[in-house]
Amino acid sequence: MDKNPDKGYIALLGWSLNAVEAAENFDRRYIVVAPEWAEEYCQKHGIPHVPWNFERLNDRSLEIAETLKEMGVDVAIPLFEETVEWAGAINSVLLDNPRLYGQSLLLRDKALMKRRAQLGGIRVGIFEEAHDKGDVIRFLKRVNQTLLKLDGDPNDPIHLKAFDKAGCLGHRVIRTPDEVDTIPDEEFPVLMESHLDGWEFAVEAWIHDGKIAFLNISEYVTLGYSVFVPASPELERYRPQITAQIEKLIKAFDIDFGLIHPEYFVTSDGEMYFGEVAYRPPGFKVFELLERVYGFNAYQASMLVFDPKSTAEEVAAFFPREVEDAKCYAGCFGVYPRRRVVSRLEIPEEVEDDPYFESHELTPPMEETVTKRTAFGTHWGLIYFKGDDPNRLRELLKHQEELDFYV
Amino acid sequence: MTTNRHMHEGTPPADEEKLPRLLANLDEATAMLGEARDFAKPGKLPRVLDTARRVLLHPGGAAALEVRARALEEAGVFLGSDWDSPQYLLPSLTTYSLKSPDANTVVIEALSELRLLAVAMGDYLHPLVSAEQAHHYLTQVMALNLWLLFSAPSEAERETQGRLARIPRYLFHHLAERIGYEHIIDQLIEEIWRILQQRPIQVEAVKQMITQIAICQADPAIDLGTSGQGADRLVSSLYGPTRACREDPGLEVYRQRLASMDNAALQGEATGFARAMHDTGLVSPYHPVLLRHLLDHGDHLITEALGLSSTGRDCLLCYRELAHALIRSAVHPATPQAVYGLALMLERGILYQPPVAPAMWRQLGLPLSEWSQARLNLAYGDAVSPRARLLEGVLCMLGLPLGVGQGNNPTCQSARALSMWAYNDPDYLLQMVAWAARDDEIVMHFEGQPISSMESSGGVAQSLPMDLDPVSLIVVPHLDRIYAEMGRRCIGREGDPHRWVNPEFHGWWSGRGFRINVDVASGQLHELDVFLRHFYASYHPYYNGNQPLIHPQPAGIAVTDSAARFIGWHAITILRVSLDPTDVMRVYFFNPNNDSGQDWGDGVRVSTAGNGERFGEASLPFEQFASRLYIFHYDPLERGELANVTQEELNRVTGYVHRSWGANRVPAADLQADSGHPNPGT
Repeated sequence: MDKNPDKGYIALLGWSLNAVEAAENFDRRYIVVAPEWAEEYCQKHGIPHVPWNFERLNDRSLEIAETLKEMGVDVAIPLFEETVEWAGAINSVLLDNPRLYGQSLLLRDKALMKRRAQLGGIRVGIFEEAHDKGDVIRFLKRVNQTLLKLDGDPNDPIHLKAFDKAGCLGHRVIRTPDEVDTIPDEEFPVLMESHLDGWEFAVEAWIHDGKIAFLNISEYVTLGYSVFVPASPELERYRPQITAQIEKLIKAFDIDFGLIHPEYFVTSDGEMYFGEVAYRPPGFKVFELLERVYGFNAYQASMLVFDPKSTAEEVAAFFPREVEDAKCYAGCFGVYPRRRVVSRLEIPEEVEDDPYFESHELTPPMEETVTKRTAFGTHWGLIYFKGDDPNRLRELLKHQEELDFYV
Repeated sequence: MTTNRHMHEGTPPADEEKLPRLLANLDEATAMLGEARDFAKPGKLPRVLDTARRVLLHPGGAAALEVRARALEEAGVFLGSDWDSPQYLLPSLTTYSLKSPDANTVVIEALSELRLLAVAMGDYLHPLVSAEQAHHYLTQVMALNLWLLFSAPSEAERETQGRLARIPRYLFHHLAERIGYEHIIDQLIEEIWRILQQRPIQVEAVKQMITQIAICQADPAIDLGTSGQGADRLVSSLYGPTRACREDPGLEVYRQRLASMDNAALQGEATGFARAMHDTGLVSPYHPVLLRHLLDHGDHLITEALGLSSTGRDCLLCYRELAHALIRSAVHPATPQAVYGLALMLERGILYQPPVAPAMWRQLGLPLSEWSQARLNLAYGDAVSPRARLLEGVLCMLGLPLGVGQGNNPTCQSARALSMWAYNDPDYLLQMVAWAARDDEIVMHFEGQPISSMESSGGVAQSLPMDLDPVSLIVVPHLDRIYAEMGRRCIGREGDPHRWVNPEFHGWWSGRGFRINVDVASGQLHELDVFLRHFYASYHPYYNGNQPLIHPQPAGIAVTDSAARFIGWHAITILRVSLDPTDVMRVYFFNPNNDSGQDWGDGVRVSTAGNGERFGEASLPFEQFASRLYIFHYDPLERGELANVTQEELNRVTGYVHRSWGANRVPAADLQADSGHPNPGT
């Protein structure tokens, strides 16, 4: 697409083909900042790029910011959890706003994040940092004492998460002290949280000029397995409360622009508990689902709200009306092999023949023995469904958990 | 919500509802692929292929995709793959892709066929293929995959492909309905004749195709129209070549009929069989029954049954005992081709060479090692003894030295050596067979040093080849190891190892003079002009004092595909150089590849019949042959005049080289203008 020099010049941090494609089809100039292995591909296809290795921030961090500044880049967008603090560091230079770097660090550390949320008057569960297994056992006991459990009563579980990993990576559920032994020492330190019974959901909110430009609610069917958008009417009826929560979050974290992706629990009495928030596109291909449902490209939406040169009118014209303009419900299911030994990919006929089935991204197994999942782990690929009835879609996504895709 | 539950557990909706929904899904996916930037297309392709797969699983799916073929191609389904150049697609490769366990391979092949169908039907004007080309290609594809039309999935297909095995079948029924069965059968018949004209030793695949045709003809459900007429000779040569077995009565009935025949009737049977055999190169299982019966009825009838000329008859009469012993030992209904091998061996007169007849007697009594017996049984079953099976192979190889094929193995040098010995040095071949089959060891010498096939480590082939004729099956593994060992002993020498290996491996007659036109280190062309002048001087009768080639000579060619792109180096034998019936100077050569009739691109089509070729010979006009040659041997003492070849002629040859395998190998100094970075050698 022809690029408009009056609009912002955007750097994409991290390699995502979908993001590049979106940028290519958008009217902003862009440049991809990606590891060296992407260089050959970029050259072959004429994709503007700067090679950069996103290791931990170091002395050279300023170098990439200066390079981009010299090129005339206006803003950097993080595409992955690992590039969030890079974006903070770079944008603090590009936008001459040192506060942005501190903000990005808050958004990268789950413990700091919770404290800041708590300070902002947002409800969070009980949480603590653990440095060794002893900390975990103590926390497990204390949480359950608080819940007035007697010895012998089944414990309420606690959740362990890595401080700085995306989504379900490193996420474990611990119910008994015995299970603590299964945690490898190298995973510490971790964040521990009490378990919240309730309906878990996620939000993707595009923020421009400190205000919500578009707010999507993603309904989880089973955490780590399935999600669909827009949320069912049962969850959407909480939209006013959810919007209020997001506004609190914007205030607490002092967010002026960008895409945030927080997770919440809503308990049976309608109370919202904050889980965590990420300053990057969500995993599980929610962007793709949104495009199926609303027809707008969510990467372009991010470029729009990040771009300091975007006007309020342009932003308002870009986004459709939430829920009202949705053409259908779209969801996806992450497949994990259920057997220990698998030899081939075989999509069950009932799945393929379902009228809601759209497509899949599964590939034949690379090896026959399935690695035992320790934490939540990574799925082997997604299956996409879409249809008009959110209840049927939810049922269908739930039902997938009982099926074998690898046999 | 319980009302929805049955939707995904109970009966799926009927097909009539499903197909339109799938097609809508496919159209959407195709549009997304079409709109995507080139670099993003690979990400959109899986959904298109997967949806197309589901469409193809419906009986009406192929028809729906034929209509969409153009949209699919324009969206970029074939982009970056071989299918993107339909003008170069090889029909023979479809047999592999359609049987692939990989769904995407099957689907893209099916889509390509449907696209060509749309082209052939005139619905899609394709920039790269014409309707006639597409039609021709599709008929070949169907002829090669006839089994898909007429047989249910085999156990192997079910195991590797599962539900996928339905796709090629639905596809082919659609293709056959649109193109017409009559085209397929006629094409198939033509193809069979083309292969048989090369007189291969292994005829099992051809027999299967003929059987398929016979089944089609016998099936009242298949209307062949006026097609399939040309199949009669083929079918009858296998199933009923003579009056007494016309209706394929079974061997036992035929044997009884023979018992009550008088001499005149036997004479009729004998000539009938002989005619069928020499017409086609195929031998009916009834033929051995007659031949064994005739052992008690005088040599005149045996001569008739073998269809011998006066040369062959003299040889038979001279070596009567041996011939009878060979018939008794080697000729059985399960080894019918032995009859043809025997007939042609007698015709060649090689029994008159003093060592050959005694060597054949050794072969008759040769004890086989357990390993040899096991290999023969494994490859051919145990309908006859391994010794009879090997004897059949020996007769066929001596009768049809140019019918040797390397199978699907990288052992062209070994196949070439066997063929060369059978052609030029038959008693040496028999010696090799004896060593390999009896002793499990062959010892050859390389520059005075013995090389044992037992002691050498690996050969060129990674696994033991099985798809070979009996002699190759036993001998090739030994030769392959020795050949590879000779190569290993040349490591560190400057230049191409064939210079030393070829003469030591093949025989003293391989010229010690050696020319190569590729610089081994850089892969660039090297002194092409001088190379060609030498070749003309050594081989072309106009430049070598009209001296016909005396011994078969090993040579190396750069094989190119139908688009003239380099595929690999290949070993062949130059047999003779002479004028063809239209007075064009041609090189006649042996290609150990199983089918010599190949299109090497840029107008270079290897001919196997119709240009003066003998059975099994391939030929090209001298210039075209020279353009694919990269290694040859010559006798340094019998070199012709170098200066006489006109520059014009050399330029023509050089043009062929530069337009094909030499395109990326022209050294920088030879370039008029910079035409890109030359590739390093292979």
